Order: sequence, then C-alpha cells, then structure tokens
Amino acid sequence: MSRRLPQIVCLLFGLIMFTLYFLDHPTAKQINTLILVDYWQIIFAFTLVVGVISFIRNHVTAISRGNDRLYRLLSLFGVVLMPILALIWGIKGDSPFMWVFENVQVPLQSTVFSLLAFFVASAAFRGFHARSGPAAVLLIAAFLTILSRSSLEGLLPDFIPDIAVWVRNNPSMAARRAILIGIGLGSLTTSLRVILGIERTWLGGEK
Amino acid sequence: MTKITSRHYVFAGLFAVVTVSMMLNYSPDTVVSAETQKMYDFVESLPAGSTLIISFDHEASSLPEIRPLALAVLRHAFRNDIKLIGTALLSEGTGVGYRLMQQTANEFNKSYGVDYVYLGFKPQYIAAILSMGESISRTYPVDYLGKTYSEHPMLKDIDTYNDIAGVISIADGSLTTHWIEYGNARFGVRISAALTAAMVTTYDPYLSSGQLEAIVGGLRGAAEYEKLLNIGGGGKRGMLAQTASHLYVLILVIAGNVMYFRRRSSGRGNT
Repeated sequence: MSRRLPQIVCLLFGLIMFTLYFLDHPTAKQINTLILVDYWQIIFAFTLVVGVISFIRNHVTAISRGNDRLYRLLSLFGVVLMPILALIWGIKGDSPFMWVFENVQVPLQSTVFSLLAFFVASAAFRGFHARSGPAAVLLIAAFLTILSRSSLEGLLPDFIPDIAVWVRNNPSMAARRAILIGIGLGSLTTSLRVILGIERTWLGGEK
Repeated sequence: MTKITSRHYVFAGLFAVVTVSMMLNYSPDTVVSAETQKMYDFVESLPAGSTLIISFDHEASSLPEIRPLALAVLRHAFRNDIKLIGTALLSEGTGVGYRLMQQTANEFNKSYGVDYVYLGFKPQYIAAILSMGESISRTYPVDYLGKTYSEHPMLKDIDTYNDIAGVISIADGSLTTHWIEYGNARFGVRISAALTAAMVTTYDPYLSSGQLEAIVGGLRGAAEYEKLLNIGGGGKRGMLAQTASHLYVLILVIAGNVMYFRRRSSGRGNT
C-alpha cells in the first residue's frame, strides 16, 4: 500500500494535468491555476525542507567524521545565518541579506565560474589535438568559430565568419535538432512510464 | 612544494593577457551580426506604451556576461518608452534583476508602477509560466516590494500574455526553453532571449523555426547591441579582453598541436 498510494496519486494528477493542458473551459482553467499556483508551490516548499534537512544531515555527519571540517562548518554557518538575516531585515533592497548576496555570493560564484576559462585554456593546450580525421574537423570548426566570435573585423578574410555561420546553421543545428528530438521523445516515454506505473524507481529503487 | 608545470604557465599567461587587455583603454570595433540586428529590430518595432516581460532567468555566476546584455536590452526598452514587467524564474536572478531595472529606470527617469514593475521570483518555473498564461495577477498577487498587483496603474489592463507584446528571457541556461515550450507553444506569446555565449547554439533550432523571435548572445552580442544603441557599456569594454583571450587560446591550440605532431613523428607518443 505504501507504494500503491503514491502511484495512484501520480497517475491521477498526471492524467488531470495532461487533460487540463488542452482544455479551454473556464472551470478547467480555474482548476489548472489552482494546481499550478497553490498546490505546486506547496509541494515545492516541502522539497525545500527535504533539501535543507538532507544538507544539514550530510554536513553534520561529515563534520563528525572530520572530513573538510572547516569548509563544511562555513557552509552550515551560511545556512543558519542567511535565514536569520532574512527574517530580521527582509531580503529586499539594501537589507543585510542582499549585501551578503551581492558582496559574497555573486563574487564567489562568478570567480568559480570564471576559473573555467583557465581550465579551458589548459585543456586546449594539452588535449585539443588533431589525433584523427574527425578530431581535425572539430578542431578546424572550433578554430573558425572562436575567430568569428572575436572582434577581429578587418583583420580576418570575409570567408572565415561566413564559414563559421555555415557550421553553426547547418551541421551544428542538425545535431542540436537531433538531440532535442531525442530529449523530447525520451521525456515523453519516461513521463508515460512514470504516470502508468511502469517506471517505479522514484518510489525507492525498485525497477 | 608543487612543481611548476606547463599548466601553470598557461594559467599565468591567460591571467596576464586578460589583465593587460582590461587595463588598456581600447575597444575594438564590432560588426553587428544579423541576429543582434533582429533583436534590436524586434524591440524597435514595438509601439511606445506596449508592455514587455523581462525575465531574469540566470544565476549569480554568469553576472559578468549577463549584466551588459541585460543593461543594453533594458536601456533600449526604456528609451523607446516600452513598459516593463520584471520577473525571475531563478531565485538568484531576483535581486540582480531588481537592481538592474531600478538602475536603468533611474537613468531614463521612469517611475515604478507607471513605467515598470518588478514582480520578482516565483518558484517552479514551468508552473509559473503556465499560470501566468492563465492569470498574471493570480500568479503574482503582490510584487517584489510587497505592493498589491492592483496598486500599479500600468498593470490595470494586463492579466495574461494576450495583454503583452512579448517576453525577453535573460538567461544563462535552459530556462528560455520553458518559455518557448510553454509560453509560446501553449499561449502564443512572442519569446526573445538575451543569452550567455555558451547557450546561443542551443537555441538555434528554435530561432530557425520561428518559435524564438530573436537572440542576442554573449559579451559580443552586448557590444553589438551597445553599438546599435550608440552607447558605451560593459560589452564594448570587455571585447578587447575577450578577443585577446580567444587569440591566446588559439595560440595554445596551435602550440599544443605542433608539440603533439613533433612528439608523434619522433615516436615518443602516439596518443
């Protein structure tokens, strides 16, 4: 029964939402809005609670075992501090919460993200070699694309940006389309399997 | 002590290239691409007084690239007297979006509630997009500042996507896809996007099929947009550093390949 009930709820709401998507009747619209605006948000709030509990448990366990104790303590400190700041002074405008967000989180995240450029440069030097025919084609395409995205107008022959545009609009887009169609079909089949109860791993690992 | 390897020289080289280029007070000229021109023309085609939703669908990490893009689009809209509704589908974009809208609105003497409103963040992006199609006022009963929806004169006649001219999603990931798949496919609202450079090719099929109205992408896109607006900005300022670092990476690729083929011809490595 512990598995049957969630499966029934999943089937029921899967069918309801699927049907509501195509209905234009005012009552259908009202139900749709009610589910989207209210119920979905309540579920989201519970997922946040689960996430926070899981985060705290994971870090407390790691700290008790002595793994990366300082970093994990700092993370936990952040998880405790930010809600306190938000509860006392709010999260808008010139609040301390926003100060921490703008002066700690934004620079930290931007810095970590920008480190990618260094790894890309290193990988380009150490690994981006024309080892085979396809690798050489990839290398040339990347070369032309990078050149076309730089401000080198006047220094480059006109055909280089033209070739880069052709690569983007033909082979690249064909591959993207194939991937998108594959994702779409995959999502459709997975959703149907979940709604119909064929796929049950989300209930706890059983195939 | 860690032994210094070729990787460290590569890192140091990139740091030097970016730092020196940022210190030089020079911005290379940029030719405007067809896609940026299309985005500019789309905003330009909207009559004064029409309303756009600007959705800040990005994280804090991409702010250095997103900020010039967002500012250019916001400046264009405010310059043309287009009314703006700000939203955010990612929590991190919420505060950033409000700051950017407020800053740009001040530049053009625009008033909150009359020329622009910031509705803020709504969790669960798919639900938010779908429910805004049914009723924006029901989805956002209060705005980011805690004022009720009905308090704002500019929102008086706006309740669904039928009442707005389009959505511009400022994104660093796949959230624009949801605007296309739900906002455009379900409700027919026109979607455009200001994207980080890495995401541009992801949206090419949507642009080609017409599901996406227009795209402006990356720092170069921002520089091109600033050129069209005849203003300076972060895009123009950053183009020298971007161009220099691109050339640096290309030199590294060439050097790496030369070394690889020399090694291979001397029989010291064939992988």
